Amino acid sequence: MALAVTVARRLGVFALTAVVASILVFLLLSVLPGDVARAQLGMNASDAAVAQLRAELGLDRPAPVRYLDWAGGLLTGDLGTSYSSRTPVAPQVMDALQVSLLLVGAGMLVAVLIAVPLGTLAAARAHRPDGVLLSAISQVGIAVPNFLAALLLVAVFAVGLGWLPSSGWQPPTAGLDFLRHLALPALSLGLVRGAILSRYMRASVLDVADEDFMRTARAGGLTPAAALRRHGLRNALVPVVTVTGVEFSALIIGAVVIETVFVVPGLGSLLIRSVSARDLVQVQAIVMVVVLLVLVVNLLVDLLRTIIDPRIRRAS
Amino acid sequence: MTIGIAAAPANLDFTTQGGAAIFEALLGNVYEGLVRLDQDGEIQPLLAEAWEVSDDGLEYSFTLREGVSFHDGTPFDAEIVQFSLERLDEWTVNTPGNLGAIERVDVVSELEVAVVLSEPDYDVLFWLAGPLGAMFSPDSLDSLATEANGTGPFTFGEYQEAVRMTLLRNEDYWGDPAEVGEAAFAYYADAAAAANALRSGGVDALLRAEAYDQIGSFESDEDFDVAVGTSPGVVVMTLNAANEALSDVEVRRAITAAVDKEAVLAAATGGYGTILGGPSVPTDPYFTDFTGEIPFDPDAAAEALEEAGVAGASLRFTVPDRPYAEAAAQVIQDNLTSAGLDVTLAIQEFPAVWVEQTMTNQDFDLTIVNHVEPRNVVNYAHSDYYWGFDDAETAASFTRAAEATDDDEHQAAMAAATERIVSEAPGVWLYNPPHVVIARSGLEGLPENDLGVGMELARVTVSE
Repeated sequence: MALAVTVARRLGVFALTAVVASILVFLLLSVLPGDVARAQLGMNASDAAVAQLRAELGLDRPAPVRYLDWAGGLLTGDLGTSYSSRTPVAPQVMDALQVSLLLVGAGMLVAVLIAVPLGTLAAARAHRPDGVLLSAISQVGIAVPNFLAALLLVAVFAVGLGWLPSSGWQPPTAGLDFLRHLALPALSLGLVRGAILSRYMRASVLDVADEDFMRTARAGGLTPAAALRRHGLRNALVPVVTVTGVEFSALIIGAVVIETVFVVPGLGSLLIRSVSARDLVQVQAIVMVVVLLVLVVNLLVDLLRTIIDPRIRRAS
Repeated sequence: MTIGIAAAPANLDFTTQGGAAIFEALLGNVYEGLVRLDQDGEIQPLLAEAWEVSDDGLEYSFTLREGVSFHDGTPFDAEIVQFSLERLDEWTVNTPGNLGAIERVDVVSELEVAVVLSEPDYDVLFWLAGPLGAMFSPDSLDSLATEANGTGPFTFGEYQEAVRMTLLRNEDYWGDPAEVGEAAFAYYADAAAAANALRSGGVDALLRAEAYDQIGSFESDEDFDVAVGTSPGVVVMTLNAANEALSDVEVRRAITAAVDKEAVLAAATGGYGTILGGPSVPTDPYFTDFTGEIPFDPDAAAEALEEAGVAGASLRFTVPDRPYAEAAAQVIQDNLTSAGLDVTLAIQEFPAVWVEQTMTNQDFDLTIVNHVEPRNVVNYAHSDYYWGFDDAETAASFTRAAEATDDDEHQAAMAAATERIVSEAPGVWLYNPPHVVIARSGLEGLPENDLGVGMELARVTVSE
C-alpha cells in the first residue's frame, strides 16, 4: 500500500516535471542565438533561400503555435523530423539512447565493481597505512578528468599495445566485437566514477560502523569483518544507491566527452551535433528523453532504497 | 579501406544542405559531372568526351560518353544533362549563382547537348567540375537526403550519421573500375582521436589531418607516409570599412603590416601551409605571390596608426569557435595591441552564431574565417557581401575576366583585380591551410591536393 502511494505520488511529480521541462526546453532553445535556417544552409546561402527554408520548417509561425504543435506530437510519440538529417527524430534518438544506456550502464558497472570493495576495504582499514593508501588512490582518481583517463587508456591499450580499438562502436549483436569496442569507453567512465563512489562507500561504511547495532553485533561475538558483512553493508549501501542514481543521470549527458573521444554514436554526441546545427526539433527531443529518463531513474532509486531498507518503506 | 576525415555530412543532399563534407564524399565517387578537375586543377573530360565553346563564349557544346548509366539503371543522356542543370534554380546551397549565367540547356541529340549562356562566363567549366555540375536521375529526387544514385565508380552503401559512410565498387562502371571493393569514410570530430585511430589501425589514412602537433611523429615513422598538399582555403581577417577608423586605407594597410603572419601560421597549423599576401591561392591559375606587397613591419605600422590618429582605437574582433581561428586571433590581438590598438576578442559559435551575427548582420570590426569555397575572390565585387568592399575598378576587372574566352586574357584580368584588391587592403590574407594526408605505408593514390571538389577514391590502391 505504502509502495503504491509512493509510486502514485512519484508519477504525479513525473508528469508535472515533464510539462514544466518541455516548456523550459522550448523557451530556452527559442532564445538561443543563431539562425536555424542559416545554420542548415551554411555560409553562402542567399537571403531568399534562408527565408524559404524558414517557411518550410514552419519557423515563421508564432512561438505558442510551434510549442503546441511540438508538445502535441510528443504525446503521440511523434518527435518530428530532423532539420539536418531529414529523417524522423524518434528512431535516431532511440538508437542513440540505446547506445548511451549500454555505455553508461557498463561504466556504472565498472564503477560499482571498483567502489564497493575498494570503499569497504578503505573503511575497514581506515586507520592503517594500507587503508590510507587506498583512500589516497581514490582521491587521485577523483582528480582525473574522464577525458584524461580516456586519452591515457587509448595511448596504452589501443595505440601502444594494440589490444583494443581506439574508437568506434558495434551493436551488442556483434558479440565479442561489441565488448572490445565497449571496453575502453566504459573503463574511462567507470574508473573515475568508481573513485568518486568509493569515497561515498568508505564514508558510509564508517558511519555505519559507529552505529549501535554494529557495536551490539560485535559484542555478540562477531568479528568486525563478519559484522560488516552481515549487518553493515546493507545499511551502508542505501546512501550509495542514492548517489549512484544521481550519478547515472548525470552520466547520460556527461558521457558526451567520452562519446566524442571514442566516436560513440550516443545521445551526448547527437546532442552536441544537433545544437551545433541548430536542429532544434532534435535537441528538444533529446532533452525531453533525458528528462524522462532522469525521472525514471529517480523513481527506480527510490524503490530500490525501500527494498534495501525496510525502515524507509515504513516511514512513508 | 577506411579513410578518416573530420567534418561529417548532416545528410546526403548537397543541393539543400550546407557543408562541404557531403559532396567531398560523394562527388567523383558516387556522382559525376560532365567534366572534372585533375590534381593540378586542370579541367578534364568525364561524362562529356569533348566540348566546344562558341567564339562569343555563349554556347558550350558537349559530346556525351556513350553507354553510361546510373546505379539504378537509368541511362545517362542529353536529357539528364538538361534536367540536372536546369534544376539548379532549386538548389539552396553551394552557391548555385556561380552557374547563374546558364540560360538554358538544349538537347541536340541523345548524346549531344548545348549549354547556352545569357552572358559570357569564363568559369563555367570550372563550376561544372564541382558539386553544381553533378548529374542526377529524375527518379531519385525524393531520396536525395538518404540515398545517392549517380554514375560514378562507387555505389552508395550506407551512412551512419557522423560515424561512417560506406561506398561499394560499381561493378558496371563505364570506365576503369575502382581498385578497392569497399571504401569508407570514418568521421572524427576530434583530431587526436583520428590520429589514434590511424596509429591503432582503425583507419588506413587521414585526409585533411588536423592534428598538426602529431605530423612530425608520423613523418619520422616508417609505417606511415605523410604528404602536405594545398587546399582552396583562404584564411582572411576582414576589416570592416563601416567602422570609421577602418574606412581609411592607410589604417588598413598599417594593420596588415602589424600582423606577423609567420607567427599566425605557427599558432594555427604548427607552420604547415602557405603564407598569403592576397586573396588567391597557389592552385588558382591566376595566382600571384603578393606577400612582399605589405611586409610585416611592426614599427612602421605603429607609426602609421599614430599618424592616422587612430592609436588607442577600440576594435571588436569576432572569432569563430574553431581552433585555427582562436589561435590566429590571439596572435593578431597581441600584434595589434603592440601597434597601439585596443582589440577585444568575442568568440562566436560557428557556424550558427558567426554566420548570423558577423556575416549576415555585419556586426564586427575585425573577424577571421577560413573561406574554403574555391575562387570566392569574386565576392570582392559584391559590396553587400560581409567583406563590404566597394570598388569600381575591381568590379570592372572581374567583368573582363568573366567575358574572356582565352586563358591569358582571363588570367591577366584576374591578376589585375587581385592586385587592386591587395593595394586597398580590405582584409589581411593570412594563409592557405595545408591539406595533410597521412596514410599507412602501402596505401597509394589518395588525392594529395584538396581542390574543393570530391575526394576521389577510385584510384586508391592498397597493398599489405
